[in-house]
Amino acid sequence: MEETNRQVPVTVLTGFLGAGKTTLLNRILTEQHGKKYAVIVNEFGEQGIDNDLVVDADEEVFEMNNGCICCTVRGDLIRILSGLMKRADKLDAIIVETTGLADPAPVAQTFFVDQDVANKTKLDAIVTVADAVHLSSQIEDHHEAEEQIAFGDVILLNKIDLVKDENIEVVTNRIRKINPFAKIIKTTKCGAPLKEILNLDAFSLKRILEVEPDFLESDHDHEHDDDVTSLSFVSNTPLDMEKFQNWFGKLLQTKGQDIMRTKGILDFKDENDRYVFQGVHMLMDASPMGKWPENKERSSRLVFIGRNLDTMNLKEGFEACKSE
Amino acid sequence: MTTDLNQFPELDKTKFEQRGIQLEIGVPVTCAVSIGNNIAAGFGDGTVRIFSSGEKHKTLKAHKGVILCMSKDGDSILTGGDDGYFLKISLNGEINEITNFGSRWVDHVAAYNGKLVCSSGKVVYYWDKNKKEPKSLNHDSTIGGLAFDAKGRRLAVSRYGGVTIWKKDYSNKWKSTKLDWKGSHNKVSFSPDGKYLVTSMQENVLRCWRLKDKLDFAMSGYGSKVKSFAFISDTSYLATSGAIDAICWPFDGEGPMGRKPICLPYIGNKQVTFIEPFPDEKAIFAGLSDGSVFLSQIENENNTIIIRSFTGSEVSAIAMTHDKSSIFIGDMNGNILWTSIWDQ
Repeated sequence: MEETNRQVPVTVLTGFLGAGKTTLLNRILTEQHGKKYAVIVNEFGEQGIDNDLVVDADEEVFEMNNGCICCTVRGDLIRILSGLMKRADKLDAIIVETTGLADPAPVAQTFFVDQDVANKTKLDAIVTVADAVHLSSQIEDHHEAEEQIAFGDVILLNKIDLVKDENIEVVTNRIRKINPFAKIIKTTKCGAPLKEILNLDAFSLKRILEVEPDFLESDHDHEHDDDVTSLSFVSNTPLDMEKFQNWFGKLLQTKGQDIMRTKGILDFKDENDRYVFQGVHMLMDASPMGKWPENKERSSRLVFIGRNLDTMNLKEGFEACKSE
Repeated sequence: MTTDLNQFPELDKTKFEQRGIQLEIGVPVTCAVSIGNNIAAGFGDGTVRIFSSGEKHKTLKAHKGVILCMSKDGDSILTGGDDGYFLKISLNGEINEITNFGSRWVDHVAAYNGKLVCSSGKVVYYWDKNKKEPKSLNHDSTIGGLAFDAKGRRLAVSRYGGVTIWKKDYSNKWKSTKLDWKGSHNKVSFSPDGKYLVTSMQENVLRCWRLKDKLDFAMSGYGSKVKSFAFISDTSYLATSGAIDAICWPFDGEGPMGRKPICLPYIGNKQVTFIEPFPDEKAIFAGLSDGSVFLSQIENENNTIIIRSFTGSEVSAIAMTHDKSSIFIGDMNGNILWTSIWDQ
C-alpha cells in the first residue's frame, strides 16, 4: 500500500475528571519523540494546552438515521478528522480526548459508521486513565466511570504512589471484573512509555487473536443489577454457522444497548478458517482470519462486556449454536 | 493505490491534458472558485494559488494550516482555515485579516455583494457591507454549511436537526425560521429560483424543502455520502455526487417528486466525488474518486467527453472561468490541470 493512503491511527483517551488525562496529553505533545501527533481536546478540558496541533472540539453526539437505535456518533469528530486529513504534512497519530463524563461508545462508533473517516483513519485503541485513589468510589457513583473502564483497551491505573499496595490490588480486581481484556498499566503521573499507549492496533481483528483475556472466575451475587460485568464462553465443539449468525444477530439487535463490547474467535463446522470478530454495541467487524494453526486445538471463545448480561441467556444461546 | 503505470503500454493523455498545464503540488486541493477569468484555489498547506490565462500562476502564503473553505466576494476571495483565520484576499495578492478565532476553525464562508459571513463552531458571524463588527447568529449545534439565496436576502444555515433560515425584517431585525429534519445536515443550497432548499446529510441522502409550503422530501439511493451537488442552469436539474453515476434530479415544473433522476454513467465504475455545472448549459463536469473528470450533457448521455484521465486521487475541486474558456481541476494529492476548453 502506498504511503499516501495509510490510515492514520486514532487513540481515544478517556478517564474521569482529575485522573490525569491532561498530564498524559502534555507528555505526548512535549516529549521528544520525533513524531507528529494532533490532539483533539474538548472545551471542558482540565487545563489549557497550547500547541499548533491542538484542536478544540465541542463534543456533539448525534443519532444516525439508520434504524440502529444505539448508533450514536460524534459529529464534531467527523468534521475535524476530515479537516485534519487535508493537511499538507502527514500525521503519525491523532489523539481524541473525551470529557470526564463522556460515554466512549459514540467515539468508537464514528469509525464504523462514517465512510470517509474509516477510509482515512482507523480507531487504534481506547485508553482509559483511572485514578487509583478514587476509582472505586467513582465506579459506585457514576456509570460513566464504569463505562470508561468497560471500553478500555488499555487502562492506565494512575497515581499508584498515593495508594497502599493492597488497595491497588482491590482496584485492579474491580477493573478486571468489568473488563478482563484491558491491559492494565500502573503509573504515577501517567509515566508509561508512549509505545504502550499509542499505535497498538487494538481494534484490528488480527490483534484479537493475540490477546488472551484474563479469565477471572466471577460470582455475580453481590453486584447491583446494573453493574457492568463481563462473561466469557469457550466451546471445543465446532459451532453451526447459521445457528450462530441467527442467535448473535438477534442478540445484538435486541440487546445491543446493554452489550458494550464483544470479541470472539469462532470455530465453525466444515470451515477451515478461524472467524474473528469484535464489536461496539450493535456495530461489528468480522472476518475469516486464515487457517487454524496446526499445533493449536480448535475452539471457540466469546467475550461480552456489558450490563444485565445475566438476563440475556447468553450461555444457553451459545450452547444451542453447537453443531452437535 | 498500487497501480503501476508502467504496466500500461502508453497512457493516452486527453487533448486537454496535452494542451493545458499540469502540476503536481503534492498537497490536497481543498477548494477553488472563479473570479472573472481567473481561478483561485486553496490548499492543505494554507497557500492560495491564482491561475490566469497566459500567465504563470501566483502563489500566496495565506493561512498557517488547511484552507477549509472559500467563497467569491466581488474581485476578492474569502477564506477560512484551521488556523482560525478568516481572510479576504484580492486578486493582486493583498491579504486582509477580517478576524481570527484562535484555535477554533473557520469551517464555512459565504458572501453576497459586500456582505461577509463565516461560521466557527455553532456561531455564524455576519458582517453587513462595510461594517467592522459582525452580528453573531447562534445555533444549538455546529454549523454544517452556509448559503445565501440568489438575491442575498436569506441566509440558510445547516446544522444538526435541520436548517435555520435567517432574514432581516423591515425594521432591520434578524428573524429566523427553522426547517426541521432529524440528523446531521452538511452542505446547503437554495435553488436559483428560490423555490427549494437542499441539504446533503451524514447519511447517504439529500433532504429537500419546497419553501412555499415547507413540504419536505428525500432524494436517496446513493452508495456513499453526497459531498457535492449543484443546481444546473435555471433550476432545471440538481446534479449530485455520491454514486457511480452523476445523478441529476429534475427540478423543472412541479419538481422532482415522483419523477426519476437522469443517471449519467462513466467508465470505470468509480464514485463521483465532485460536481461543477457548466455555466448556462444543461451540462456538468463530474470529478471521480480516481481523479478522472468528464464533461457531459445531461439530456444526452452519449455526449460525454473525458477532460482528464485518472490520477489515482479523488477530485476535490473544479472551477470554470467566467468566460467559459478555461477549467481548473484539482485532487486530494495536489494534481492540477489548468486548461482551455476550446480547440484553438
